[in-house]
Amino acid sequence: MSEVKIEKLCKSYGPVEVLKDINLTVGDGSFVVLVGPSGCGKSTLLRSIAGLEPVNSGNMTIGGRQVNDLPPAQREIAMVFQSYALYPHMDVYNNMAFGLKFAKTPKAEIEARVNEAARILQLEPLLKRRPRELSGGQRQRVAIGRAIVRKPQVFLFDEPLSNLDAALRINTRVEIAKLHKMLKATIVYVTHDQVEAMTLADKIVVMNKGRVEQAGKPLELYYKPNNLFVAGFIGSPAMNFLPAQVKKGGILALSDGQELKAALPSSCKAGDTVTLGFRPEHMTLGGAGKFALTGIIDIIERLGESGFAHVRLPSGHTVVAEVRGDPRTGSGQSAKLTFDADYLHIFNAEGQRLD
Amino acid sequence: MADAKAGAGNAIVGMGRGSYAMLLAFFLGPAVVIYTVFSIYPLFATIFNSLYLRQPDGAYLFNGLGNFQTLLTDTTWSVPFWNAFRNNCYFFFIHMLVQNPIGLALAAMLSLPRLRLRATYRTLIFMPTMLSVVIIGFSWQLILSPLWGISKMFLNALGLGFLFAPWLGQESTALITVSLISVWQFVGIPMILIYTALLAIPEELIDAATVDGLNQFQAFVWVKLPLIFPTIGLVSVLTFVNNFNAFDLIYAMKGALAGPNFSADIMGTLFYRTFFGNQLQLGDLSMGSTIATMMFLIILVGVMCYLFLIQRRMQRYSF
Repeated sequence: MSEVKIEKLCKSYGPVEVLKDINLTVGDGSFVVLVGPSGCGKSTLLRSIAGLEPVNSGNMTIGGRQVNDLPPAQREIAMVFQSYALYPHMDVYNNMAFGLKFAKTPKAEIEARVNEAARILQLEPLLKRRPRELSGGQRQRVAIGRAIVRKPQVFLFDEPLSNLDAALRINTRVEIAKLHKMLKATIVYVTHDQVEAMTLADKIVVMNKGRVEQAGKPLELYYKPNNLFVAGFIGSPAMNFLPAQVKKGGILALSDGQELKAALPSSCKAGDTVTLGFRPEHMTLGGAGKFALTGIIDIIERLGESGFAHVRLPSGHTVVAEVRGDPRTGSGQSAKLTFDADYLHIFNAEGQRLD
Repeated sequence: MADAKAGAGNAIVGMGRGSYAMLLAFFLGPAVVIYTVFSIYPLFATIFNSLYLRQPDGAYLFNGLGNFQTLLTDTTWSVPFWNAFRNNCYFFFIHMLVQNPIGLALAAMLSLPRLRLRATYRTLIFMPTMLSVVIIGFSWQLILSPLWGISKMFLNALGLGFLFAPWLGQESTALITVSLISVWQFVGIPMILIYTALLAIPEELIDAATVDGLNQFQAFVWVKLPLIFPTIGLVSVLTFVNNFNAFDLIYAMKGALAGPNFSADIMGTLFYRTFFGNQLQLGDLSMGSTIATMMFLIILVGVMCYLFLIQRRMQRYSF
């Protein structure tokens, strides 16, 4: 069992609290992705798990063993860094073997482990090369190899793909997913790229300002975001938000007077101010959905197979709707947007989801 | 902007040979002239002078390599020459064994993550390097003076007065004392160079070493040190060149005779006495040039050894 359990973890730099009461469980063999905007504390949390950052309070266990006071090397973790952090003066073999040599692992065992990792990552022909003679993708694989040879309980990835170009990033993403399956490894992975998070994770942890906003399966977060932050962070282009007033009889009144009728959650009372959320792909230009909004098209971004229509409502808010194919309408024309009531999200004045 | 660049490129491509030469002369001329007048010409003039011998009637006669033979074999010349050479090597070894390791240690301490008052330490340690050699020499002469020197009182106050000796005045200790003063003065230079090299090493590399099980000291020895070898090589070769060209500190503290009994005499002071003359010794242009040429050759050989034996095998790392 290599479960990671974090309870009530707090950390501050002087008066600045960077991690506030973090509770998180990473199940054995699961792939957990920490996402959030820069400065949200996701890297600090990862480095705390690794033991590279001391924490102020809280409890961390890896595989049932408390690791709070253990140095990184004894936590049975391996870390892949954003810049790969390969030792420039050692060849690929020694980069992978270095940690094992320091742990006084028998030579034959080191050789076996390094060769095994090299085989898995197709690094065999490169073992005698120095990092600077490798491409970005190869360096990335060496960094992963260095993690694999440690046979850790948990792999920690700190934005490992952000230094790669777009095409290689997609390839490597798939490689990491395959590797996870093959090694059945427990992985904690930090990224700010939500596509990486959605495609790789068993569980996504969305962080903001040092707090966990929501943790759950990718599609759960997508379809049932707990609050406005998660709703706005997951999904691209972002979810549309419109302020509305609840009226009697389940009527939602927008600020420009347009009204929508919906089956409102029971916690919604007449007179409440709420925020409505709906995703661009759940809206159609024209069509005959139950809900309809009218506005004027500002611009249509055409991507080929689809496009995004930016529609300005009379209230001044802009709503983005996904349109399939090549719509005939263009900017300046008035448009009717319809959408499916099933995909309407309602948030209260505090930004919490209402169900 | 792009158009202007392309235009300039075309202007050079389409230029006639004459105007291209003018352009080269305009940009390179000043540097070439200054370098030639103040560096290349003096070097060749010195070598040229070393091949001539002054006759009693004042005329100069071509003597081939005769002056070098005199310098290396005639005991009137060879004893002081080999003494100065030996002392100079000693002077260099003390710098290599004391100055550079201390510079490295100071740089390592300056780059400790939790150090406070970093800038203050850096400035204080670098301060002596910026002071005039004459001031340094004079201050240390006062400090070490057996009559009123503070070092004697200081040791007395500690109850260690028996350790005191007139270090600058004894044949056995004069050279090492002057060397250590020079070390004290210049230790800031290796420190700054190595400190800069250490700063260029990314933090993540040390994090990786920490995860691999190394403590701070081991990470320094096994990761940082190999990465700054090129800088240490550079510092060594700079030390070598500076030490074999040294003159001013010894002259300021011990005068041209570098006493007692030439015990602190190095190539620079020997050259000075020979070329310009000192007390009853007359200045000798030919033998002075011969010594200067020997100094040039020693430094040339040393730097060549470094370039061919060490630098070529060393790798520079970019992160």
